[in-house]
Amino acid sequence: MDWITILSKAFWCGWGAIGFGILFNVPPRTLFPIWIGGAIGGLLKFALLQLTAGVVLASFAGALAIGISSIPIAHYRHAPPMIFAIPSVIPLIPGVFAYRTMLGLMKLTSDIGPDYNRILSETVNNGSKTLFIIMSLAMGVAIPMHIMRQESVKNIRLRKRNRS
Amino acid sequence: MSQQKNSEAKALGLLLLDVGVYLLSSGASCSRIRITMRRLASNYAYDAHISIAPKSISLTLNNDEDHALFNGMLTIPAQGVNFKTISGISRLSWFAVENNLSIRQVREELTKLLALPHYPRLVILFFVSLAGSGFCFTFGGNLLEMVITFGATFCGLLVRQEAIKAKFNPYICVYMGSFVASLFAGTFVIAGLNINFEHAFATSVLFLIPGVPLINFITDLIDGNILNGLVRGISALMFALAIALGLLTVMLIYNLK
Repeated sequence: MDWITILSKAFWCGWGAIGFGILFNVPPRTLFPIWIGGAIGGLLKFALLQLTAGVVLASFAGALAIGISSIPIAHYRHAPPMIFAIPSVIPLIPGVFAYRTMLGLMKLTSDIGPDYNRILSETVNNGSKTLFIIMSLAMGVAIPMHIMRQESVKNIRLRKRNRS
Repeated sequence: MSQQKNSEAKALGLLLLDVGVYLLSSGASCSRIRITMRRLASNYAYDAHISIAPKSISLTLNNDEDHALFNGMLTIPAQGVNFKTISGISRLSWFAVENNLSIRQVREELTKLLALPHYPRLVILFFVSLAGSGFCFTFGGNLLEMVITFGATFCGLLVRQEAIKAKFNPYICVYMGSFVASLFAGTFVIAGLNINFEHAFATSVLFLIPGVPLINFITDLIDGNILNGLVRGISALMFALAIALGLLTVMLIYNLK
């Protein structure tokens, strides 16, 4: 995977984020930051994958970048950080792993044959990847919001008081 | 005087309950609901005690002498995720505090805000389908697979919207969406086109993933709203199962392995 592919994947992650933003009916003024957020998350994830980091770590880094960047954007565009963070992080959801897990679980209901062990390990592998990626996505988005919350509320108050 | 105070408390209490239930049904986390309701209550010198259940909110308003002047509870309206409401209410609460809006003014602003339109249906369909083909690309799909995913997402979302309009159970709506989307994608696999059906299949149902409950699940758990968090987590799991069931049905129909 060369860097052009990574960039175009990040580009499409941005469009994925926009699609979900529109599905969740975000205010139009937040659409562009959501695209940026999705693209940053995708860029970080696929770049880290290229640098042979694990897929869980790469997804976490992408989500963390989205979570952190959503806080300044939230001040800038006057909307809660979650409005930017949730649509942006959705392109990082491991659809293919979830799909393979589901498929594997279905295969596991058949009779035990020679390749049962292989299917079992593959399913457990895909399932744990799915689970941990989703957990790390949610954590990556939630943690910056929690660390910054107190401060950010004060910031909003300060800035508005200065202006008035 | 006391009469006046009581009617003010009642108006404020009903307003806060409305704000709370609309935030809850629009997909806000519990701590955001509490913060917003308390912010508004303290603006009028009341102390709000809030209990958030999965489908309702109860509220007691105390005055500065700790007398309870309002007790109330409201169940959530039937309304899906709507971030415009969340962002609007958040702005409104700040605006009300800064400009000392009266309770009636806040109520008027809230009514205006809730009447704001959604995006036009075709715009939603187009952009969500575009998102679907974007996902297909990031999972390694080629142009043909992206086009198929676009069509599958379009049909699936259309059916899901109609199912929601017909007031089906939400999980059944997702099942229908998943079924139709994968049926569309599966047709091209069956037709013998040279495509990797994993890409088309797995990404055609991605528009159904319950992103908001998934994230709020963890957010609520971190905040200590364990009960609400678990409810959201299990709801997300149910949606995922409904998606899987839709895929499974199509794979049985087409006998795909």
